[in-house]
Amino acid sequence: MEYIIGIILLISFFGLAYYCIKGHNLMIGFLLITLLWTILPIGGTLFASEAFLASNPILQFGKDNTLIAALNKIYQSAPEGWGTTLVNVCWGAWFGRVLMDTGIASTLIRKTVELGGDKPFVTVALLNIVTALIFTAMTGAGPVIAIGVIVLPILMSLGIPKSVALFTFMGSVASGIYLNPVNFAQYRAFFIKPEEMPEFTLGWYASHWGYAALVIMLVATTVLAAFYLKRAKTVHAWAAQTRSTASEQKNAPFYTLLLPIVPVILKIWLDFSVIGGFVIAGFLALFLCGRMSGTFKENCQLVNKLFYDGVVDTAPLVGFLLTLPMFNQVAAYASPYFKVILGNVMPKSEIVVCIVFAVLLCMGLFRGPMTLVGCGAATLGVLSNVASFSVPFLYAVFAIPTITVNIGSCITQSWVAWGLAYTKVESRDFLKLSIPNAYLTGVLQYVATFIMLGGLGAAWFL
Amino acid sequence: MKKEEFRNALKPITDGLFGKQRTSVYERPHFDVRPIEDMMNDLAEIDPVEWYSYAFSREPLNGKFNEEQRKEWMEKSLACGREYAQKVCEKYQTRDPKKLAQAMGMDISFPEFPEKTDRVLFAEYRVPNKICIYMDAVKKGEKLFDRPGISNLLTEGLDISRLLLAHELFHHVEEQYHHEIFTKTEKVRLWSLGFLRNDSNVIAFSEIAAMGFAQEIMGITYSPYIMDVFLVYGYSPEEASGLYEEMMVCAGRTPRTA
Repeated sequence: MEYIIGIILLISFFGLAYYCIKGHNLMIGFLLITLLWTILPIGGTLFASEAFLASNPILQFGKDNTLIAALNKIYQSAPEGWGTTLVNVCWGAWFGRVLMDTGIASTLIRKTVELGGDKPFVTVALLNIVTALIFTAMTGAGPVIAIGVIVLPILMSLGIPKSVALFTFMGSVASGIYLNPVNFAQYRAFFIKPEEMPEFTLGWYASHWGYAALVIMLVATTVLAAFYLKRAKTVHAWAAQTRSTASEQKNAPFYTLLLPIVPVILKIWLDFSVIGGFVIAGFLALFLCGRMSGTFKENCQLVNKLFYDGVVDTAPLVGFLLTLPMFNQVAAYASPYFKVILGNVMPKSEIVVCIVFAVLLCMGLFRGPMTLVGCGAATLGVLSNVASFSVPFLYAVFAIPTITVNIGSCITQSWVAWGLAYTKVESRDFLKLSIPNAYLTGVLQYVATFIMLGGLGAAWFL
Repeated sequence: MKKEEFRNALKPITDGLFGKQRTSVYERPHFDVRPIEDMMNDLAEIDPVEWYSYAFSREPLNGKFNEEQRKEWMEKSLACGREYAQKVCEKYQTRDPKKLAQAMGMDISFPEFPEKTDRVLFAEYRVPNKICIYMDAVKKGEKLFDRPGISNLLTEGLDISRLLLAHELFHHVEEQYHHEIFTKTEKVRLWSLGFLRNDSNVIAFSEIAAMGFAQEIMGITYSPYIMDVFLVYGYSPEEASGLYEEMMVCAGRTPRTA
């Protein structure tokens, strides 16, 4: 019977992949699959063989492991546990809004352009570096759009073809996300509970793999952009820019331009609280840029408004991310059935995992079975339960299709979709540039993963 | 309590219970909508040189320049555009942008992509000889010719696609004469460090000169920059009013109230 249930679960996994690729609502999709994966594995214990149940204590319900306790774990404790990550997301979104409101982000971009001038490649390279630095701290569609409406017209006014401008901007945003503490906390929660493995900090991750991942993506994106620029023809466009640029035109004081990287540096260098870093750097930005010069009441309203706007920026993801922990938890109950079916098929050595994932990178596109912000959460559930890998290794293996492929190269990413509409680039023209980048970057990152995170000691296993 | 007041009082509760959440999304700035004829009237009165502040507001290096420089470069760039318009018209013995384009061997297409209001694309020139005139914006603009006074104001029988084509033709002319033309030879020093230095062209020079070129060829008295408002109006009168306000303030004038 366990074979039949395993096969049904496997079919439902591919059904979920199809559902995600079709672009349906992720939150509802994961809620439905959680329900199905609760009913089948738990109901399946009534029909499974004695030997199967005996070898899987998680499926032995009784006095010590009651059914209600299991259900509570799935539907209550799991999403509650993710709450600690959610607060990081909210404060990160607030900090992003502060950088936009104070003009720090836009000043950084403008000053960078003033260094590069009309030389497209120099300006692209400099803007890529600055964009990546900015997005080590900022996150969400709002900040990407806010920076995009400054960067993209500049790149296009330099005669850079719009598809190259869009691809290089989105690539550099994604490369910054490799060191973003909010994204790190978000993805870390897919693998372990926040309190588990305290040594797996942003600092450890950055020095062992994160810096390399960022640099690889940044360099690959810039080199490819240079290659495309060499082949592309210069374009001049007459377009009316109607979005209000009032907030983008003010210049923030020079010394405040360092503030975007303060939270990340504090976190990596001192393992200082991420939220503390956001609060310190955020209020410093508001005071130093003269945004707190009103009455106490006005200042309170400003801080409150920025927080509100920031939370709205991240709202579309929150429902999905609060459903995912339920799914991650229920995957533990489904994994014995998967083991029966896939136990001999799933890769068990690190080198094979790296090669297979590098070959299948394209499956991170369209919310496919490789990306954590899509159907990849299900793949992780299966892989981590049928084979044993260290947490940092597994993190890197899934971060690559999630960040490089999905966030940086896929048209299903909300801000990429916005960018396509904004620049009038055809989806296929964007994908023609972004998919080679996803493969070039991804393969190099898997090589780095195997070299830097392969063969970690027992302390890094759960 | 009246029925309406009672309904309003209950609305938040029913919305909460039955899922009619009023989610806040990004709100674009709001502007008072003015009639297009009034806006065109005001903008057409602005002398082409007085557009310098608006023209440079889209320039990536704008932060490095002062008002005096902007005004001086505006005059020089406009003069450059007009000079080359005369040169080209003499060379090809026509003032019709379509015939000029044909004589220059241009490959012109007229795609009809739907546009969004945050960035309305009118036309593009791609090196060496491709020009795209985006007809969605043009057709929306042509519908406005029926409005009273517009046709007279913008010159009887103005062909918008020809105006856009003339603008883009300048970029081709610029490529042909890049060794001598002002827009390509005038450079600004961005930084220098010992023997290292970075001198750069200014993108705004090209765009301003292209406006001067188009104005000269089409024989119009106003700056073609007013097309930014005219063509956006077909998509969003509110966004066009926002642009109008910006242009008027840039020209040191007070925008009329709605």
